[in-house]
Amino acid sequence: MTIALDDTLTTSDEPEQPPAAAKKVRSRRQIGFWFGVSWLVLLAVHAFFAEWIPWVRGEQEVPRVAGPDGELIRASGYRFGPGLDFWFGSDALGKDLFARCIYAARLALTVSIVSIGGALIIGGTLGMLAGYFKGWIDRVISVLVDALLAFPAIVIAALVIGRFDSLQASDIEFLGFGFDWLSRRWSVTIIFLFLSIAPVARIVRAQTLSLSEREYVLAARSLGARTPRILVREILPNLVPAMVAVIFTGVAILLAAEGGLAFIGYSVKPPEASWGLMISENRTRIDDAWWATVFPALMLFLTVLAFNLVGDRVAKRFDIRETSL
Amino acid sequence: MRYVSQRLLQFFVVFIVVTFIVMVATRIGSADPVRDLAGGAVSDQQIARVLNDYPYLDQSLFLQYPQWLLDFVTGNLGYSYTQSQSGLAMFQQRLPPTLFMGFWAIVIGLAIAVPVGVYSAYKRDGAFDRGASYTSFAFISMPPLVIAVALLFLVVTRTSLFPTVGGSSYIAPWDSPWGHFRNFFIPSLALGLGLAAVWSRFLRADMNLTLQSDFIMLAKAKGVSPARVLWRHALRSSVLSLITSVALQVSALIGGAVVVEQFFGPRGIGDRLVFAIQQNDILIIQAITAVLVVGVVLANLIVDLLYAVVDPRIRHARKLG
Repeated sequence: MTIALDDTLTTSDEPEQPPAAAKKVRSRRQIGFWFGVSWLVLLAVHAFFAEWIPWVRGEQEVPRVAGPDGELIRASGYRFGPGLDFWFGSDALGKDLFARCIYAARLALTVSIVSIGGALIIGGTLGMLAGYFKGWIDRVISVLVDALLAFPAIVIAALVIGRFDSLQASDIEFLGFGFDWLSRRWSVTIIFLFLSIAPVARIVRAQTLSLSEREYVLAARSLGARTPRILVREILPNLVPAMVAVIFTGVAILLAAEGGLAFIGYSVKPPEASWGLMISENRTRIDDAWWATVFPALMLFLTVLAFNLVGDRVAKRFDIRETSL
Repeated sequence: MRYVSQRLLQFFVVFIVVTFIVMVATRIGSADPVRDLAGGAVSDQQIARVLNDYPYLDQSLFLQYPQWLLDFVTGNLGYSYTQSQSGLAMFQQRLPPTLFMGFWAIVIGLAIAVPVGVYSAYKRDGAFDRGASYTSFAFISMPPLVIAVALLFLVVTRTSLFPTVGGSSYIAPWDSPWGHFRNFFIPSLALGLGLAAVWSRFLRADMNLTLQSDFIMLAKAKGVSPARVLWRHALRSSVLSLITSVALQVSALIGGAVVVEQFFGPRGIGDRLVFAIQQNDILIIQAITAVLVVGVVLANLIVDLLYAVVDPRIRHARKLG
């Protein structure tokens, strides 16, 4: 299977290239891909095992380090720039920015991955049904997608998250359940999931539409396979590459959205760490403590870039046309 | 004509779906929208005043929506009781900064994207093309927030030309062109660079296709100079699809403006929207979102119709279909 895929890569990508140049192009792409993969692995390991990694301090820890005379000093007021004690410097309260960037990565990654996963299950099902059965399901989904794409998601997200705050504070009950659990973390995940459903459904729909015309689907149908079997055994496996591409680009978009949302104050609240929140807290002090703003922004950029690089590669490899999410 | 009416219908459906979703969203977890609007813990008198102005607010959502729609269409854009300002006055104050910022962002985006895209397509796979491709890929991965931090760190703090963080304010270009430039250049650049990256990639891909078509071959064979082939013949047909992409980016532009206005200023409509969300100023939220949706969808609609006017092939295809 992999050999066949390699073939399609070289032939479809740069058709007029001589073999040597094609190889060069391919190796250049590989560099970007491997950079993305290694950054993501490194970041994910740090983010999810932060408590067990000795060089990552606690999220809220205010460390004491040895000063020039050997006494222990606390790092309040951006005292330390980037260096051996504080890799990314210290923030206004003397917390370690490297550790906070790592915990922020944990938040951003969990929120985006969980939302995309949920959107893939719901939106994928909707898109598959719409693409396979066409008709009115198709039309309803298209209208909803149009409506959602006509509007900047960050605004709806901020609006709903603000309302979820009062829902959590209120004693409203739904089916006998209160809303105490509805922390900002959950609010962001829920609204991101909701906003990702429509675009995911659209991509899956387009893919299903073309897959359902293929010969092997026709063959299965003429052999008497029932619709559920065709959907699960014939179409679903062939949707996997598109879904992988969707996961990577989708997470990249949600990471950026989480950054913006946190910046305007609608992701987690302080003292929890989020890249956007750190930028918003520290940007007025950029003259004397540039590290507190620049490193979170750099982490956000590199992580989005890594997801885009990997997603782009997957999409090119499986020849999935770029679709807006 | 059939096509136009279809698009208009679609426009209304999208408008109603979005404004209804927003209306529902403003009511989540709220026991009493009238009290929210009046500003929380206030006197009964104040609440009576709100109810007098907007009697439908304590009805069910399905009854509220048509009445709100009627208000909106007849020009009653709501009232902010906490700010003692009508929706119309709010728009007059807050819309111009955002419009200027969006306009300059599009200008900057196109001013970078068109030369870069055309030259990349002309010297395909050359050093410039490769460099531009990597750079634009990097910029695509930069949300406006990251570009804003980069501009702040690399430009604003190193020169004394521009106001510092959050210091930009609205100065109309006819009052003081230089003041306008000082206050608007950095925020517009923060939005425009991302657009430039998207559009230059788009234009390059489109030009590559155009340059392979028969009429370009014919023009070359006739002996038309390469520059003329590139700028007159090829760019003209690619520009059409670029215009569509410009309209598609309007929604993303507004999302970016919300962030950039908070970051640098000038305090425009995006900033007011965030503030209204914090204050739970539901009528203002509804008015701003409705106006933004009209703007986004109208931009798409106009471009779509313009497309048919400019391109005879599309005009005919649509008439037949």
